[in-house]
Amino acid sequence: MNEQIYPDSPCPIIQVRDLRKDFGYLQALSGVSFDLNKGEFLTIFGPNGAGKTTLIKVLTGLMRPTSGSAMISGFDVLEGNAKLRNQIGVISHSTCLYPDLTALENLLFYAKLYGLDSPEERANESIRAVGLQLRRHDLVRTYSRGMQQKMAIARATLHEPSVLFLDEPFTGLDLSAANALKEQLNDLHTNQRTLIMTTHDMSCGLEICDRVAIQNKGKFLFLESIEDIDSENFETFYIETLEK
Amino acid sequence: MNQYLNQVRAIIWKDFVTELKTRELFSSMFIFALLVIVIFIFSINLSIVKASEVGPGVLWVAFLFAGTIGLNRSFMLEKENGCLEGLLLAPVDRTALYFGKLISNFVFLLIMEAFILPIFMIFFNVDLLPHLLPLIYVIFLGTLGFCAIGTLLSSLSANLKTRDIMLPILLYPLIIPIIIGSVRMTGQILAGEPLSNMTNWISLILCFDVIYIAVSIMMIDFILEE
Repeated sequence: MNEQIYPDSPCPIIQVRDLRKDFGYLQALSGVSFDLNKGEFLTIFGPNGAGKTTLIKVLTGLMRPTSGSAMISGFDVLEGNAKLRNQIGVISHSTCLYPDLTALENLLFYAKLYGLDSPEERANESIRAVGLQLRRHDLVRTYSRGMQQKMAIARATLHEPSVLFLDEPFTGLDLSAANALKEQLNDLHTNQRTLIMTTHDMSCGLEICDRVAIQNKGKFLFLESIEDIDSENFETFYIETLEK
Repeated sequence: MNQYLNQVRAIIWKDFVTELKTRELFSSMFIFALLVIVIFIFSINLSIVKASEVGPGVLWVAFLFAGTIGLNRSFMLEKENGCLEGLLLAPVDRTALYFGKLISNFVFLLIMEAFILPIFMIFFNVDLLPHLLPLIYVIFLGTLGFCAIGTLLSSLSANLKTRDIMLPILLYPLIIPIIIGSVRMTGQILAGEPLSNMTNWISLILCFDVIYIAVSIMMIDFILEE
């Protein structure tokens, strides 16, 4: 269905075709297909259990699909090679940070894993970019949820990935932290990063994306460009789409 | 290859920095091993049985139980805050992850054993000093095998709800040959026999060390996949 919506995507950076994932009798993904061009920002809305996290896990190579294919930057997700993992970054509700290490030590560790040149310099740069340089020697355990999420962004963008996946990044953030995160996502978007985000937060999700999808029961029920959407009445449309 | 070694080194570095800050792993393993020795010393009448005969069994039971705590904790740390996911998303070969964790576990366990040996010596009134080198050799081989399969199984059980129970259930049957070999050799060493008399046991433990490392290299990809 989505291939018909975007028939002539010029060399998409993400190509997903008929992706399926079964957990026994449960179909977490049942035939998801879409393309995404470089620099596009796709927000996926959907109720709990719609398969959003499964989709992200499959696209990031953390989970093997039952069938279908997905290519990111020309690399097959199923092969899960190191080159692909160099191209992607993931921000989820878990920060992937070691609570008993300082912010600098955490990023230094990841910089070494990614084989970055001058890891210390890169780690310091990333911490500066999220505005936590004054607390870089503090244990991550002592950080607030908002600060930890900023650090999660620093970790996910440390190796400058071309594609960024965000799984419910606004979970547990207060208003100011959510606004700060929104700004950072806007910056990443303007830097030509391709982003895929799942969220329940409609206002945040609609504000910063180029395309919107609604997922339920493992399927994309809707996929449109943001210009074609009535943002003010989107909530009603969303509920109607789910009820269909 | 250089990148691979750097990644292994990074994982070991991270584990050591974490342990130096928290000392969680060492203290829990050490106290547990100490308790095991204390319990045995009060339950065995050393005026009836010779310390050099029951001592090796007690020593290895202490290493085994304390080591299980260490192995359980090892991958639990990676599960906190979804760190394991962060590792799997990085361009790291899964075997580098395995070797990093294996070396960390192995060194932590050796350090704990180094602290337990003098306590064992005092409580059981056994003079280990004349046999120290062969004893270190046996402990090295036994601990390597234990950590080789233990690290693999702890990565498997970390994803299970019943992880605390599952690790010993999966691990203990598999390390029986290594533990039997290590206990027998430790006994022979304490009785003053040279290592050259134990080539069969050494070969057995070495074989299991190699098999467990090889199996882990082959399995780790599947085990870490969700």
